[in-house]
Amino acid sequence: MEAMPEEKAEFEEAEIKYVSYGGEHHLPLIMNLVDQELSEPYSIFTYRYFVYLWPQLSFLAFHKGKCVGTVVCKMGEHRNTFRGYIAMLVVIKPYRGRGIATELVTRSIRMMMESGCEEVTLEAEVTNKGALALYGRLGFIRAKRLFHYYLNGVDAFRLKLLFPPPRQELSPSLDT
Amino acid sequence: MIQYNTGKSAKRRASSTRSPTPSLFEILSSSNYSPMSDNAVSEEASMDGHPPNLASIPASDSTIWADASPLLQAACTGLRDGELIHGDNFNLFAAMSALEIMDPKMDSGIVRTYYSIDEAIENGAAPIPISPDSTVDVQSTIDIMDHLLACEAAWHKGHSLAQTVFSCIYLLRLDRTAPHALLHSYCRVTRATCKAVVSLVSDARTHEEEDLFTMMYGLPLNGDGDDKCLSMLNAVEETISRQLRACKAASSKRRLPEDLEPLQSNPNLEEGFCKALLCRLRFRKHFFHILACMKRPQGRGLESARKHIASCTTELESILKSADFLRSCFGESCEGDIDDKTTASGREPIGFDAMLNSRLSAPMPPRAIKILSWKKAVEYFVKLLHDLDVICSHSLDEHLESLLRFVVQFQKSQPDLVARSHLQLLLVQDGKLYGRDPFFAVITKAAALPEATKNHDIQKNESILQLGMLVMNLLKILCTNAAWQRRKLGKLLQDWRVIYVQLELAFRNAFGEVSSSSNDENICMKIFQHILLWVEEQTYWIAFRFLILGFELELYSTSEYCMVYWYLYAVLIKLAEKTHLKMTVSYDTAKRKGKKKKDSPKDLARESRIPPAVLFLQCYMCLAEGLTMMLAALRNEISVFQSPGPFNTEQEKFAQHFELLQRACIPDHVSYPSYKESTTHARFSTLAMYNYFKDAQRIVKEVKSSFSNDPDRLSELRKLEQVAEHNSVAQNLICRLGALDPSLKVSFEFSHHPFFPTVVVKRS
Repeated sequence: MEAMPEEKAEFEEAEIKYVSYGGEHHLPLIMNLVDQELSEPYSIFTYRYFVYLWPQLSFLAFHKGKCVGTVVCKMGEHRNTFRGYIAMLVVIKPYRGRGIATELVTRSIRMMMESGCEEVTLEAEVTNKGALALYGRLGFIRAKRLFHYYLNGVDAFRLKLLFPPPRQELSPSLDT
Repeated sequence: MIQYNTGKSAKRRASSTRSPTPSLFEILSSSNYSPMSDNAVSEEASMDGHPPNLASIPASDSTIWADASPLLQAACTGLRDGELIHGDNFNLFAAMSALEIMDPKMDSGIVRTYYSIDEAIENGAAPIPISPDSTVDVQSTIDIMDHLLACEAAWHKGHSLAQTVFSCIYLLRLDRTAPHALLHSYCRVTRATCKAVVSLVSDARTHEEEDLFTMMYGLPLNGDGDDKCLSMLNAVEETISRQLRACKAASSKRRLPEDLEPLQSNPNLEEGFCKALLCRLRFRKHFFHILACMKRPQGRGLESARKHIASCTTELESILKSADFLRSCFGESCEGDIDDKTTASGREPIGFDAMLNSRLSAPMPPRAIKILSWKKAVEYFVKLLHDLDVICSHSLDEHLESLLRFVVQFQKSQPDLVARSHLQLLLVQDGKLYGRDPFFAVITKAAALPEATKNHDIQKNESILQLGMLVMNLLKILCTNAAWQRRKLGKLLQDWRVIYVQLELAFRNAFGEVSSSSNDENICMKIFQHILLWVEEQTYWIAFRFLILGFELELYSTSEYCMVYWYLYAVLIKLAEKTHLKMTVSYDTAKRKGKKKKDSPKDLARESRIPPAVLFLQCYMCLAEGLTMMLAALRNEISVFQSPGPFNTEQEKFAQHFELLQRACIPDHVSYPSYKESTTHARFSTLAMYNYFKDAQRIVKEVKSSFSNDPDRLSELRKLEQVAEHNSVAQNLICRLGALDPSLKVSFEFSHHPFFPTVVVKRS
């Protein structure tokens, strides 16, 4: 995506504050971030759908008062499975590569798990190496390939994360 | 918002400060609104603030227009953060499809250039003739032809008809091109061709994911007289041929009796233009013929199609060659990279506007698409013709098994939708193979039953009929794109497992009911045995295809390879077993029919020898097992190729990847615990004890001669040999150095074979 080496922001990971969606005042921040970074056109109702119905699943990342990243999700019953869905994930360019997206997604997934979701799913362009690596590390598999999914002709992967059945002991790495 | 009444003077109000666009009130008040005239209703306002002259919703006696801006302003002020005013039937989910009018990212009604096709024409966007200068006219006509070809290729590749071929204003109003015979006939044939292709792809119904292709959006695809398009084209071709002869005669100083009017005014360019036009016209003619021939039932037109494909390919070559002449004839240097241009000459074509139809593509958001370059378009058609030729040259008298192999082989070159639709329609017509062979006959032949079995009453059995449908669907699915194909094959596994169970039950019932004739019992039992075995073999073949397509589609990450190859090995064992059993049973059946009175030494030897087809599968098995063990050892010894995540374990990934196989019990007794058991003890020391790759090498050597007449399988064997060789060496290296050298880097590259990687060992 980037042709020129970008100016990277200088910060310590501890300086990033993660906040759960808190209300209407967060909506313009999310919208600006997503409008800026993603090419899909979303009307304001698209955002409202997610953050009104599942406010606990959306998170924002702030650095010194500036919103630098966000994740927007939903969950619900889908063909007899209770499933989470990651709709949008954005981190502005100067802040990428430092684990912010991973942290945002992890928080959301944990919330989904605690809410009883059996699995989590999303779509990503097959060319989006960064996203594929991120989700791969979190345990998602590439369940399907969707031919020419995006209107620009690019294929997509449907990524899916299956939670272990509730009886199983949680792995120690969950206690972060 | 209610309308303003007639006669009242309009009061101008300031538009809302929020949006930069004028309010509807402003537009109405400043327009040349004539209340007495019968104005057409229009839905959109134009972007630049100039009111369209005919825009208005007619007033009536009981309605007036009123400015609601102050009301909305007051409501906005009154609402608190997070509050929303909505109607009773408002629904957040449904509201996601809302478009923000006049947002260029969403509103496909936004006028960019012209308000309508008519306005475009009125403004000279598609002049007829294209130019008063006949030379420029001919040159521009060729540019239009080239750009149309590029549009057509872009459409085939997955863009909408509305924004590609029908971005041509001449095509949208074909009748007005009638005075220009050349352009008119070319456009007409193009339109008729598009219609034929849409019909073809619709018939194939393979386009669930590719349904953009057949969306017609109400475009004028059906033209009166389009069936005569070829005769029109021939007439024009004839005229230009005569012209070419005339100018060749003129150059060699011979005079022809006819005194023809030249194509254009520059005699030095006449020959070049004639040639450039002729190959383009002929390409269209032959392409149209190919579609017609290939459509003929039962493959009757395939031979003729091949002739037209050959001619078409020749014309494409001439088209490519004409580029030099077309580029040079005006001495203009073209801006930008010629390779990106959509015409041979590099000039922009006249008469195209992709946004004119953007309203037709709503509710899809407006998207500028990139038309293929002319070079790439020609390449596309060259490949399409080649793929069609492969289909046409295929023999229609084959075993299902080799037909399946042919389809798989054909798909390796990644043919596009149009070629794949042709193949599918050739294979499955009227519920029969090639429109000719009932599927029961196909099945009995595939199951190695005697010829006469195809007439047996058992074909009326419900389960047998269903089996026929399954085979038909399998063939159709194998013709689709890999991504869709794999999903469908996964679903098929359950169907094939169920049909096996049903058949078993059905045959037991039939077998049990047959009372007297022991002869019939024998036949029934034989059919039972053969078909059941064949169904099992087919089921494992589908499972095998399902697994290996995952590699082509890049669905597996390296940390998942171990379980995938392990599962592949489990499936291959069963596939080999069933294949071998089927061949043994069919051989026994042939023997029992009295064909062999005595077992000659040759027969005995053949019986004990493993058939080449099975050896082929064993070669796959060795490679799969070798890779499984190597990956397991690497993981157990130096902890590579595993990715423990915070939320789940390898067991969940196993369950996900193999869910469909597990649900259909393919194979039985295969599970995550048995996978762990097989791989948990793998170490470099155990790896050193047995080299499966050497086994694979040995089998390849042994089996090569049996496939000397089969170039595809020979090629496959050569690739397997290379993988086996490399991996054998890699394994030895790993065993010797693995435990000692922590800097050892192992990677897997699919450089020799699509689903068996070559192991690369590096010391960093």
